Amino acid sequence: MGCDNIINTFAPCLSSSLGVPIEIANFIGIFLGVIIVASFPLLVAIALIWTERKFAARIQDRLGPNRVGVFGLLQPFADVIKLLGKEDITPAGADRPIYNAAPVVSVVSVLLIWAVIPFTPIHVGVDLSIGALYFLAVASLGTLAIILAAWASNNKYALLGAFRVVAQLISYEVPLALALLVPVMIAGSMSLVSIVEAQAGMWFVVSAPIAAFLFFISAQAETGRAPFDLLEAESELVAGYNIEYSGMKFAMFFAGEFMHVFTNAVLMAVLFMGGYLGPFVDQIPMLGLVYLLIKASFWYLLSLLMRNALPRIRIDQLMLFNWLFLVPLSVVNLLVTALLLMIVREVGLAPDDPRSFVDNIPQTIVLFLGNAALFVVVMSMVRNRFRAQRLAETQTDDLLPATAGD
Amino acid sequence: MIDVPSIADLNLTVTFPAVFLALFTMVVLIVDLFIPKDRKIRTAHLTLGGLVVAFVWNVLVFDSNQTALGGMYIADSFSGFINFIALTAAIITCFLSVDYLKRTGIEQGEFYSLLLFSTAGVMFMGAASDLIVVFIALEILSIPLYVMAAMRYRDAKSEESGLKYFILGAFASAFFLYGAALVYGATGTTSLPEIFASVEGIVATDSGARLYLVLGAALIFVGLGFKVAVVPFHMWTPDVYEGAPTPVTAFMSVAAKAGGFAALLRLMVIALPELTANIGDTIAIWQTTIAIVAAATMILGNFVAIVQTNVKRMLAYSSIAHAGYILMGVAAVGTIGVAEEATRAALIYMLAYTFTNLGAFAVVMALEKDDGSGTQIADFKGLSRSRPLLAVMMAFFMLSLTGVPTTAGFIGKFLLFGAALEAGLVLLTIIGVLTSVVSAYYYVRIIVNMYLEDGEGDPAEGATQYLNYATYAAFAGTLIIGLFPFLAVNLLDTMMIAGLF
Amino acid sequence: MTFNELSWEALAFGAFTILTLGGALGVVFNRNLVRGAVWLVVSLFGVAGFFVLLSAPFLAAVQVLVYIGAIGILFTFAVMLTRSMTNLSERFNKQAWLSALAAVTLFLLILLAVIAPIFGEIAAPSSEVVATTEDLGVALVSGDKFVLPFEVASLLLTAAMIGAIVIAREED
Repeated sequence: MGCDNIINTFAPCLSSSLGVPIEIANFIGIFLGVIIVASFPLLVAIALIWTERKFAARIQDRLGPNRVGVFGLLQPFADVIKLLGKEDITPAGADRPIYNAAPVVSVVSVLLIWAVIPFTPIHVGVDLSIGALYFLAVASLGTLAIILAAWASNNKYALLGAFRVVAQLISYEVPLALALLVPVMIAGSMSLVSIVEAQAGMWFVVSAPIAAFLFFISAQAETGRAPFDLLEAESELVAGYNIEYSGMKFAMFFAGEFMHVFTNAVLMAVLFMGGYLGPFVDQIPMLGLVYLLIKASFWYLLSLLMRNALPRIRIDQLMLFNWLFLVPLSVVNLLVTALLLMIVREVGLAPDDPRSFVDNIPQTIVLFLGNAALFVVVMSMVRNRFRAQRLAETQTDDLLPATAGD
Repeated sequence: MIDVPSIADLNLTVTFPAVFLALFTMVVLIVDLFIPKDRKIRTAHLTLGGLVVAFVWNVLVFDSNQTALGGMYIADSFSGFINFIALTAAIITCFLSVDYLKRTGIEQGEFYSLLLFSTAGVMFMGAASDLIVVFIALEILSIPLYVMAAMRYRDAKSEESGLKYFILGAFASAFFLYGAALVYGATGTTSLPEIFASVEGIVATDSGARLYLVLGAALIFVGLGFKVAVVPFHMWTPDVYEGAPTPVTAFMSVAAKAGGFAALLRLMVIALPELTANIGDTIAIWQTTIAIVAAATMILGNFVAIVQTNVKRMLAYSSIAHAGYILMGVAAVGTIGVAEEATRAALIYMLAYTFTNLGAFAVVMALEKDDGSGTQIADFKGLSRSRPLLAVMMAFFMLSLTGVPTTAGFIGKFLLFGAALEAGLVLLTIIGVLTSVVSAYYYVRIIVNMYLEDGEGDPAEGATQYLNYATYAAFAGTLIIGLFPFLAVNLLDTMMIAGLF
Repeated sequence: MTFNELSWEALAFGAFTILTLGGALGVVFNRNLVRGAVWLVVSLFGVAGFFVLLSAPFLAAVQVLVYIGAIGILFTFAVMLTRSMTNLSERFNKQAWLSALAAVTLFLLILLAVIAPIFGEIAAPSSEVVATTEDLGVALVSGDKFVLPFEVASLLLTAAMIGAIVIAREED
C-alpha cells in the first residue's frame, strides 16, 4: 500500500515502515485523529474571534481590532496571552472540584460534536449510525456544565443566570430535536454521512426550509447569544453564570461559546446544505472541507448578523415564542413532512436515483409546496392573533383616560 | 423492505374495550377544554358514556379467547372479567364523584381523564401477557391514582396521602422491575407463555437460572404486594385511604386491587405454576410464602381494624384483610389442579368486594362533610332514624364484608375457602374463617351505632342524587350476587374456562 | 488479533465499571446533594459506556440524552432550588439498622444470584444478531412486536404529564 494519503494509510504505513505492531499503530492513528479533530475547532475559534470582532465593529461603525498584526489578525493571540496571564480566582465558598470541572465540560460538550461531523467524503471522525441523536445527547451536556458552574460559584447572580439557562435551553431543545428529525426523516438515516449523501440530488434547505429555519433559531437559542442571551444579560445579571470565572477558565467558557456557534453553523451546512458536497469532491476529497467551511461561514455570518442586529428579548417573550410558536410549528412541520413523504413514496414520485438532481425534483416540489402552505397558514394565524391583540389594546386605550406623560 | 403485519393480523377487535377506553381518555381530555368551569358535569356524562360503550363492547367480546397484538394481549374470559370489574368500579366511582367533587371544591375536568387512564391501566393489566405490558400497565394504573389522591391539595392530609402513595408506589414499581429483569435473565423472554415453557426445563436441570427465577418471582410478588396492600407491605394503606378524596379511596380500594391481583394471578397461573422445588411436585415453590403472607395479612388487617375510630381507616384495614382473603386464592393456585377453581373463586370474590366496598364508601361519603370531616364511626349514630334506607344498605354492605349468607361476600368467601381446602391449605382456611369471625366485631359495630344509638339531626347531608344512584347500583350488585350466585359463577364459567388453560 | 481486541474491550469495560460503581459510591457517600447529582451523572455515563460495548449505540445515546441531559439536570436544578438541602446534617434515623439489614440481605441475595451461575455453565448469548436502530424502530411499532407497550407507554407519559399539571397549576 502506498503511503500517499496520510490520513487513511497512516496506520499501515507506520506498521510497514517502522515495524510497529499493527494494533499499536492503529491506536496511535486513532489517537492522532482524535487530537486533530479536537484541535480543529479550537484553532477555528481563534479565527472566529477575529471575525466576530471585525463584523461587530463594522455593524457598529467602528474599526475593530487593527493594531496587532495585519488587520489585527493576531489580536486573538494577544487576547489568549492576556487571559493566560490573568489571576485565576476561586471565590470563597465555591465548590472547588465542580467549579474547576465546569469549564472543561462546557468545552468538551462542544468538541464531542465534532467527532461525528463529516469533513470530506472520506474524512469523518466516526460515522455513527445514530449521529443526529448523538449530537442531541452531547449538546445536553453543555447545559449541565452551565448549571454546575453557576452553582459552584456560590453567587446569586450566577445562580439566577443558571435558572434562566435551564428554562431556556431545555425549552429550546424541543424544537431543535423536532427540526432535526426532518432531515433524518427525508434521508432515512440518523448518520450524518448518510444525511449528507442524501442531499447529493437536492439540498434539504430547499425541501425543508421551515425545518432549517427552526433548527437555526433554536440552535442560536441553545448557544445563548443575542437575541437569546438572557442567561448572561449584562444589564440584569452582571454577567450570568460565568460571573466569578476569570483567566483561562473564563476563556474556556468563552471559547466554548464561539465554537458552539460555529458548530451549529457547520451542522446547518451538514444537515441542510449538503455538507461537503460540491463540484469535483469525488476526485479531490479535500475540496469537501473547503465547501463545508464556505457553507458554514454563510450560516455563521447570518448568526453574527442576528446577534448584532437584534435586541435582547424579554424572558416571558422568550418562553412564549418557544412554546406557543416554535414548538407547535415544529410538531406540525414534522407531521406534515412525514405525511408528504409517505404520499410521495406511495404515489411513486420518490427519486429512483437519490443522487440525481432531476429525479429529486418531484419530491422536492411537493415538500416545498407543503412547507410553503404551512408557512402561509402559520403566518396568517400569527397575523390574525396580533391584529386581534392590537385591536383589544387600542380599545382599552380608548376607554382609559389619557394620562400625562404617556 | 419492512415486514409489517396487516391490521387484520393484529386482531384489534378483541382489544377494543381497553383500546377504546384509552383513546376515549384523549377525547375526554380535549372535549373538557371546551366545557365551562361551572358545567363540568358534562365531562362526567361524557366519561360515563365512554365507560358504558366499553362495558357493552366488553360483554360482546367477553369469551373471544384470542390473543392480539402479537401475543402481548390476551382477550380471554379472565381479562373479560377483570374488565368487567374495572369498568363497574369506574362507572360507580364516576357517579360517586360528580357531587362530591363539586361540594368539596376540587372539581376539575382532568379528574375524569385520570380516572379513565387508571381504569384503562387495570384493563391492560388484566389482559397483559408480557412482563413489559404488565409493568407499563401497572404504572398507568398507579400514576393517575397518585395524582387523584393528592387532588384535594388544600388539605395537608390529602397531600400527604398522594406523596406517600407516590413514593411507596415508585418503590414498589422498582421492586417489580427488578424482579421482572431477573425473570427475564433466567428465561430469556418476557412473554408469560414462553416463561412457562422454559420454567420446566430450568427446574429439571436445577441450573443457576432457578435462583434467578425464584428471586425474580419473589421481587415481583413484593412489587405487586405493595399495590394490593398485603402485610408487610401495607403500611401506606391507612394513611393514603384516609387522606385521599373518598371517591378516589373507593376506586383505589377496588380497582388497584383488581389490577394487582389480576397480574399476580396471570403470572402465577400462566407463567410460574411449574416452579416447583423438585420435578413432579404438585405444589409450587412459592405457595408456602404466599400462604404465610395471606395469613399474616388476614390476621393483622382484621385485628387492627378493631381499634380504628375513623371509618375510612377502618375500611382501609378491612381492605388489607380482604387482600389477605384474595391472596388465599392465589396461594391455592399453587397446587396443581386447583388453579382453575381457585382463580374463579378469587375473581368472584373480587367482584363481590367491588360492589360491597364501593357501596360502603358511598354511604361514608353521604355522611362526609365538605371539609372531609364526619367520617368517624360515631357519626353513624342514629342513621337508621334519619335515613332508614341508607342505614339498611350500609348494614347490608357491612354484613357482606363480614361474609354473612345471602350476601355477595358470603359467596366469595365460600368459594375461596372451598378452593383453599381443595388445595390442601387447611390451616390457612381455619385462619380465614376465624378472622372472618373477628371481623364481624367491627363491621357490626357500625350497625350497632346506626340502629341502637341516638344521634342528632340529619347527618347524611351529602346523600345527593348521583351518590344515591351509585349506592343503589352497589346495593343491587351485592344483593344479586348474594341471592343468585350462579349468575356470577355462570358469567365466569361460560366465558372463562377454556380461556385460561 | 483477537487477544488484543479482547483486551481493549476489557480495558474499556474496566474503565466503565469504575465510572459506574465509583459514581454510585459517590452518590451514596456524599452529603452534598449537588455533588451527589454530579456523581450520579458520572455513574450513568458509565452505563452509557456499557451500552456502547454491547453494540447498542442508540441506547447509549438515549441514556446520555435522557439520564444526563434531562434527569441529571432536573436533579441538580431541583436541589439548587432547595439550597438548605444541599448539606444534610442528619445522616441516620432510628430505623437505620433495619434498612441496613434489609439492604445487605437483598444485596447478598442478588450477589449470590449473579455469582452463582458463573460457577455453573455459562449460558451462551441468546443471539449473535446485532440489532440496528432501524430494527429497534420497526420493533417498537410493529404489530406483532412491541406496539402495545409502546403505545401504552405513550399513554402513560400523557397521564403523568396531565397529573403533574393538575397538581402544579394554580387555581384559577
